[in-house]
Amino acid sequence: MASGVDQAVGMGLVGFSLLLFIYYTLWVIVLPFVDSDHVIHGYFLPREYSVILPGIAALLLVLFVGTFIAVVMWKNRKPKKTQ
Amino acid sequence: MTKLMEWLSGLTVLGVLWATVTFDLLGLDPPEAVLQVSWPLPVFLLVALGCFSLGTVGYRVATFNDCQTAAAELQAQIREAKTDLQRKGLRF
Repeated sequence: MASGVDQAVGMGLVGFSLLLFIYYTLWVIVLPFVDSDHVIHGYFLPREYSVILPGIAALLLVLFVGTFIAVVMWKNRKPKKTQ
Repeated sequence: MTKLMEWLSGLTVLGVLWATVTFDLLGLDPPEAVLQVSWPLPVFLLVALGCFSLGTVGYRVATFNDCQTAAAELQAQIREAKTDLQRKGLRF
């Protein structure tokens, strides 16, 4: 059995990804088939953002990974030994 | 054909299909709703893949099978081996 914290974090990730998937699917796939005067359209941003926001998120992810690698490599640099 | 070529050709076919629908290259005039679904579709598939990956990782973390007794036993064996080797002259 995974520890309590592990289980909480794991299930949290599952829940978060499920919510994100459902919201995004409604936004991209379902909303175009709903009448434009329906109240549900108020809960979603204009459609352009459904492409822009994941683009920004992907950019941030790449920046984060790159920065992390740079920091780790910087910390592990060894000064040249003098004989 | 290598796997790379297979993937690239599959992606190209899907890409051509998507572009044909989204930019109306054959003059088929799809209804407005279809166009609105079609143009974010590649990003949607990427986001869906990301969500699926994140969910799978979370699920595997939550259901990981820790073996507490085996871990304790292994730690004891490591300590035993260390003392044994140190007695025999190996320095850590």
